[in-house]
Amino acid sequence: MDALNNLMYGFSIALEPINIAYVFAGVFAGTIIGMLPGLGPISALALMIPITFSMEPSSGLILMAGVYYGAIFGGSTSSILLNAPGVAGTVATSFDGYPMAKKGQAGKALAIAAYASFIGGTVSVVFLMLVAPLLSKVAVSFGPAEYFALMVLGLTAVVSLSDKSLVKGLIAAVIGVMISIVGIDMQTGTERFTFGSINLLDGIDFLVVALGIFALAEVFYMLLRGGDSKEGPRNAIGSLKLTRSEVGEIAGPVSRGSVLGFFTGVLPGAGATIGSFLGYSMEKKIAKDGDTFGQGNIKGVAAPEAANNAACTGSFVPLLTLGVPGSGTTAVLLGALLVMGVNPGPMMLEQRPDVFWGVVASMYIGNIFLLVLNLPLIPFIAKILDMPKALLLSLILIFCMIGVYGMSFSVFDLLLLLGFGVLGLGMRLFGFPAAPLILALILGNIMEESMRRALQISGGDWMTFIDKPISLSLLVIAALSLTLPLIKKRRRKA
Amino acid sequence: MTRLNTNQWLALVLALVAAAYIAMAWQIATFPLPRPVDSDLFPKVLGFALLILSAFLFFEPPAPLAGADTIDPDAPRGPLLSTPWARVIVTVVAVAAYALLLVPLGFVLASMLLCVGLTVYYGYRRHSVTLAVTLGVVLGLYLMMTRVMDVYLPTGVLPF
Amino acid sequence: MKTSLKRLTLLALPAALLVGATASAQAQEWAPTKSIEFVAPANPGGGWDTLVRTVSRVLQEEGLAERNFAAINVPGGGGAVAWAQIARDNGNPHKLFATSPPIILVPLSGASRYDHTDFTPIARLITDYSIILVSADSEYETLNDLFDALKENPNLSVGGGSAPGSMDHISMAGAAAAAGLEAASVNYVPFSGGGDAMTNLMGGHIEAVITGAGESVGQLGEGSQLRALGVSAPERLGGGLEDVPTYQEQGIDYTFDIWRGVMGTPDMPAEAVAYYEDLFAEMLETDGWQRARDQLGWIDAYQDSEAFGDFLDAQQEQFSSVLGDLGLLRQ
Repeated sequence: MDALNNLMYGFSIALEPINIAYVFAGVFAGTIIGMLPGLGPISALALMIPITFSMEPSSGLILMAGVYYGAIFGGSTSSILLNAPGVAGTVATSFDGYPMAKKGQAGKALAIAAYASFIGGTVSVVFLMLVAPLLSKVAVSFGPAEYFALMVLGLTAVVSLSDKSLVKGLIAAVIGVMISIVGIDMQTGTERFTFGSINLLDGIDFLVVALGIFALAEVFYMLLRGGDSKEGPRNAIGSLKLTRSEVGEIAGPVSRGSVLGFFTGVLPGAGATIGSFLGYSMEKKIAKDGDTFGQGNIKGVAAPEAANNAACTGSFVPLLTLGVPGSGTTAVLLGALLVMGVNPGPMMLEQRPDVFWGVVASMYIGNIFLLVLNLPLIPFIAKILDMPKALLLSLILIFCMIGVYGMSFSVFDLLLLLGFGVLGLGMRLFGFPAAPLILALILGNIMEESMRRALQISGGDWMTFIDKPISLSLLVIAALSLTLPLIKKRRRKA
Repeated sequence: MTRLNTNQWLALVLALVAAAYIAMAWQIATFPLPRPVDSDLFPKVLGFALLILSAFLFFEPPAPLAGADTIDPDAPRGPLLSTPWARVIVTVVAVAAYALLLVPLGFVLASMLLCVGLTVYYGYRRHSVTLAVTLGVVLGLYLMMTRVMDVYLPTGVLPF
Repeated sequence: MKTSLKRLTLLALPAALLVGATASAQAQEWAPTKSIEFVAPANPGGGWDTLVRTVSRVLQEEGLAERNFAAINVPGGGGAVAWAQIARDNGNPHKLFATSPPIILVPLSGASRYDHTDFTPIARLITDYSIILVSADSEYETLNDLFDALKENPNLSVGGGSAPGSMDHISMAGAAAAAGLEAASVNYVPFSGGGDAMTNLMGGHIEAVITGAGESVGQLGEGSQLRALGVSAPERLGGGLEDVPTYQEQGIDYTFDIWRGVMGTPDMPAEAVAYYEDLFAEMLETDGWQRARDQLGWIDAYQDSEAFGDFLDAQQEQFSSVLGDLGLLRQ
């Protein structure tokens, strides 16, 4: 009953009027930042540090955590409506969310995203509360070899994400890895494929590629299809209500997505983006109608949305229990906590229980706020789609440009964004799937780095990947997930 | 000589890209300290993987193009500038121009020009609506980023 | 750019008028005529950015500067993108940037055409030190235990938070050399940050970690999973680190500063340099600065323009000799 007492204590902090106001302000600001493509929670939080400087630490963290999970919550909106991922964690949501919007089910897609996010967020707070201290052991048990195996497992999803032509899917994936390794090689400091440009030394930002290949390419594609005024108002929103059978359909994906997402989030370095991809491709594999994923399947919205919000909460485990940031966003949060005079780490639960339990309790409240804030807004936000197409297309362009510029302050990145837009259009016209490229882009670099790190530690001994039990079992699962479908197919044919 | 199909054309292009990539991979400097796997191994593997995959693509019978059937065949034939491909090209040029003019013109002016210009070009005729919406969105974003979030955006020729 | 700054000044005017009263009393020869662009050559959130934003805020709150300090982020290439931009702005007295050892290390490793001699040193402000950590249940009790083990088995890995040839690596290699090892023999494994390296240390994947002392404070103390073997400071640090011996106490004659300071455009006029020197010296005395400094775990290490310049030259010499030993010098 300890947890219950602690939680009560947490609520006594989170329910102070001022903290309720901070939760609300945080999730509200987060939702808006999340909706704007490009501008992500990292820069928003970094810029908020001066504001939180003089705050009570629990209030400061409550506010900033609210911005973080609020942004992940809000990011799904632009993924669904505009095919422009608002934050990196919501790219996978656009795979089925955007097709749903095109079919006139924008309202339903947004509602599913909201419910799934809420459940993913809430379930993961329960986990955070109950098992955070235990999980810190899991988090540190992942060394370079284990990460390499995890990335390999993640990359096997390329096969299920490339439905029409496996060869084209693999080509897209190889190109994705190629993009991910541009820049200074972290392991040696050597420049690779920078063409002598200092603008490429830091590599190519994930969101530049994602916005180009999804949002810009979509704009170009709509222009190609010609129909500006011919296509009348789509009356696009549709109903928000889910039928009983639909609820039953997404229950599984949401709960599996929540659990999977949370554990992915706990691992430092994995985070919301990888969590949502894993959730998506797992559901695609499990589902009987897996081949309709990508054409507006509601499960394809529910799974990644539950997973990315759960992963977001999960990423607080290493931050609060170990004091190590698992992602760029939590690194900024760690910095903010230090500024406020709190040292997150193994001692924090004892020294500053107010911060830990206050934040945990505030997350329950924040998720409820997000749901009641977002659901009634859906019909209004979805009205964007009723805008004249000519205007809408120009606005999408502007949004993407602003997002990228506000993130990197670089004209070069704007041109890069345009380049990826053109590449995305080409891929689309010639039937290359975009999802494998994006997945490989996220995983490729981490895979290479952790592989080389592991070998550096083992002195060049490749057995290190097989000697470690976690790494070995992940590699076995990866091998099985590649071969089992083939065997199944054989059998069916025989 | 038989005509090459789409996949074969693509395969040839990709093979060229792969060859260039491999050539560049060989020029990556070796690290002075001994490393079990140096910076060049991964790129080399990737280059050859792409080469092999393009060979597979060469022999894959092309599926009907995903986009081809949806490109409107009887889209406005009229003036050259409003054919579908012209729209894409004009948009690409306009966005590139925006990127280059962003700093000298300033954020607000450049964004307004791009947004209004393209909307009118795409054929939306209610200019007052365009202006109002664009102004609202651009100014709103600008004020939010510069005033609330303290992000510096180029001001250019306008006084703010 | 010029016009844009003039416009910014208009915004900054009210603030400037407020502080004008206090500052004008000191009768400076030169004073800024528009707001000052203060560049952090990195994304929001990192060390340079924190310095830039904290300094701007303190200057404004304490009413020291006659003009507004506008924090601007120019990320890319570990600083190289910003340096290339600033190097073009010859003699502009209204542009400053935050700096630290990478301004010397990045050019030495060949990744930037500009090095510290291309810019005008203004002042060194603060410093941090390296710290060497091992797991709490490790058999190494002192630095010498660790170095003896490394001598015996060069395969033991030491993690750090930055690429080979940058701060953590140089600091570790230098210490190893001072302890009688080959600098290049240390099996340095780069992680994507000090936090990442410390997690791997807790998990037992690596033998030891070198990182910034400030970054590690939260990890140490009672019940911690990590143990600190030494700091690279000339004398013991305060706060949570007072129990950690220096390298020198353990017979390893080596110190390493992770300093941060401010530099200006190439050939900045001497009067402007003098103005900023005084401004920062004054800022370090204020309560607002001292509060912020303590919260962030910084240690004051002021040097004026000339001393800072000499210090930078000495640092360059020291770093290139370590890089040379490592075989990483590219020039």
